[in-house]
Amino acid sequence: MSKREITNAAAGVKESLFKRHENLTVLSIFLSFVVIIVGLQLISTGFAAYPTFISPVNILNILQQVAVPGIIAVSMTMVMISGGIDLSVGMLASLVSIVVSLGISRWGLGVVPSIALGVSAAVVLESAMGFIISRTRIEPFIITLGGMISFQGIALLLSNSREVVMKGELDFLTMNLIDGARDPVTGLVLRLPPYVLVFFLIALIGGLTLTYTKFGRRIYAVGTNPRAAFLAGIDVANMRLAVFAIQGLLVGIGATMLLARINTGIITLGQGLEIDTIAMVVIGGTALSGGRGNIVGTLIGVLFLGSIANAMNMLRLPSEVQFLAKGLIVIIAVSAGDISSRISDYRTLKREQAKARATAAQAKQGGADKKQEPQAELQNPPV
Amino acid sequence: MDEVLRLSHVSKTFPGVRALEDISFDVKRGEVHCLCGENGAGKSTLIKILSGAYQPDDGGKIYFDGREVSLTPNSALKMGIHTIYQEHIVFNDLSITENIFTGSEITRWGLQQRRQMRQQAESVLRYLKSDLSPEIKMRHLTSGQQKIVEIAKALLFKSNVIILDEPTASFSSKEIDTVLEIVRTVRQNGIGVIYISHHLDEVFEIGDRATVLRDGRKVSVHPITGLTKSTLIKDMVGRDPSTFYEREHVARGKVALEVRNVTGNGVRNVSFDVHRGEVLGIAGMVGSGRSELMEVLFGGAPIVHGDILIDGKKVRHASPKAAIRNKMCFITEDRQNTGLFLDKSIADNVAVANMVNTSEIIVKPSDDLATGEKYLKLLNIKAPTARTKVLNLSGGNQQKVVLGKWFNTGGEIFIFDEPSRGVDVGSKQEIYKVMVDLLKQGKAILMVSSDMPEVISMSDRVIVFKQGQIAGELTGEDITEEAILTLSIGDQKE
Repeated sequence: MSKREITNAAAGVKESLFKRHENLTVLSIFLSFVVIIVGLQLISTGFAAYPTFISPVNILNILQQVAVPGIIAVSMTMVMISGGIDLSVGMLASLVSIVVSLGISRWGLGVVPSIALGVSAAVVLESAMGFIISRTRIEPFIITLGGMISFQGIALLLSNSREVVMKGELDFLTMNLIDGARDPVTGLVLRLPPYVLVFFLIALIGGLTLTYTKFGRRIYAVGTNPRAAFLAGIDVANMRLAVFAIQGLLVGIGATMLLARINTGIITLGQGLEIDTIAMVVIGGTALSGGRGNIVGTLIGVLFLGSIANAMNMLRLPSEVQFLAKGLIVIIAVSAGDISSRISDYRTLKREQAKARATAAQAKQGGADKKQEPQAELQNPPV
Repeated sequence: MDEVLRLSHVSKTFPGVRALEDISFDVKRGEVHCLCGENGAGKSTLIKILSGAYQPDDGGKIYFDGREVSLTPNSALKMGIHTIYQEHIVFNDLSITENIFTGSEITRWGLQQRRQMRQQAESVLRYLKSDLSPEIKMRHLTSGQQKIVEIAKALLFKSNVIILDEPTASFSSKEIDTVLEIVRTVRQNGIGVIYISHHLDEVFEIGDRATVLRDGRKVSVHPITGLTKSTLIKDMVGRDPSTFYEREHVARGKVALEVRNVTGNGVRNVSFDVHRGEVLGIAGMVGSGRSELMEVLFGGAPIVHGDILIDGKKVRHASPKAAIRNKMCFITEDRQNTGLFLDKSIADNVAVANMVNTSEIIVKPSDDLATGEKYLKLLNIKAPTARTKVLNLSGGNQQKVVLGKWFNTGGEIFIFDEPSRGVDVGSKQEIYKVMVDLLKQGKAILMVSSDMPEVISMSDRVIVFKQGQIAGELTGEDITEEAILTLSIGDQKE
């Protein structure tokens, strides 16, 4: 029992730079990715042209593409830090888009009430799942999988399995805030729609909530050690419920933005959104087991995953390759953290072994036969 | 009766601890050899050496059937040395048959011979006079029945020695009788049984010989015939006085916590009170209901019946949140799993419990850090900054972080469950000093401990638990190891 503790103490309190700044690993992978793409562009054009990957128009492009998954990734981060997961966000987004578009174009509810209806439907449905998850011992994976399938059913029922076309009532969400601005390099029109700003605003609020509020700090506690959290007076069940309610709110907002871009409420709207958001959060360093992660990491994950497809297009690679690249990057980004910590553990082990050998040699000189002892101790690697 | 297993001059050292010192021990075929000793006397370490889980230090020798051997978990099994641990190691969703045969399935051409395995399982169960069907899933068995299955497994695989570690802990008396009956059957088969139990009654009912361990040393070995309980208890006690802590005493104040007829979570009809300025020690064997009662008091488990009063007012603790608001603190026995957030910093850990007492929504990490630094200094926690992850601290320093967490809530009634478990000697002294400081500030302490010197030197009064109930209370000079042991394992009428 005391063995592990002793090894830990010996492992030293000094940690490597990468361990101390948890986002540094992913950030460096992301930056090297950017450098590689820019390098490839420079090489392929013979250093003649400006690398379009980092041109303002392209960056704004990427931002428009990642804004909606990014919004949902913020709440997904919270859910996952609390130790949960939510597979239903994609279908829920489709459902919300159908509710809002039906509200506007069929039920004649008006724009604002329709949006309010869609968003509150998302909050209610997510809270219902959160209620079951927090009050039972069933895995969130299973409950939200069930949720995903039932939301698909509800959405199909409401829309009679057809798409719901709107007449651009939500265009105010996609208008260009910097009308008339042009890219200084390429001369193309720059677009900055409001939902990109909404994404940054939500990310900012989410990040501040996690770091600077009691609520946020408690999400970490619940995810790290639910039993200890309960004994420290935290209402673990309601915390779990709350993160799902927030998830509902952000899925509602995100789905409305998505609807505004496409102008059509359709079941395929949110397809694959759960995969993308979970991948973004995981790339950003949030642990599936809960307790670890932050919004800055998630932001890096969002931009990283969002720029892969874009970069592949720039390099004129077929779209099929994009899936492979996306998948590989998830694996690389997630293993990188583990590999670097294993390397540092290995180094500590080596250091300790050297130290133990030195003491053993000393002991031998002193005549005591204690060779066996330090070695047996070292068979336990530092945890 | 011939000897089957013998340990000769075996010692075991862990970094900083001498767990066993020069133990010689043997078991003969067809005998039940009981191992007795207090919590922490070295029984578990001895079992682990016998089962091959630990290797003894150089110089110790192990003989099996007269040959010198070295034991690994694998070779021990091959020699037919089966260990049945206190906690069941079972596959809950597999049947009895599958549990018995997993890892050594009967196969022909790579196919499992299910019927054959079933028949063998059934016949061994019948031999043990159990009417369980071998098809039942383990999940549906009581822990007594699971124990029978484990013994059946050991029998089926030609055992020479069966080691039973607390086989009857938390069993009903009927289940205990069944297990004892089975042990008798096993003995008739010429198998050597090593039997560990806190219940002296069982030792006298079933044992042939008893070896007493204390602080990792062998004190004595007696034949059971002609042995009395008091002799056995006398051998188990008698610690070195230097392990006792000299404690300052503080004037006793008003009653802080009153427990009236509390039942629930395995505890029955318990009543006591704790005054400000005193340590109420709670002794008893592991599993006697001490920690379970603490959970009830702290709102971690539901109360079935009875009342809890704090400063004379009746309270109801539906959750730990309510208990913390009522100024209670709970230093749990398993700090890594229930006390700390290992992956988080000292500052985060210290801040977490006090959150129920503050109404602010926004927290400043810099404030938490300052609080963390404050307790770092106050409790002499050895870490460079309050940003250090708790994972990287030693046991003693981790325990101080737990203390910091509770001091930060401004609590008045402290429950210490095993305050110095896994803590080095230096930190132990510091923790005791901190406890006395708490008393000086007029706080009340409930201390659950299995460490006899700790109970005796720190407690003003001691209540002893036995099987979920209070077996007796001791005060002042009456607090001795012998008295505590007699109450917790002996016959109460003796």
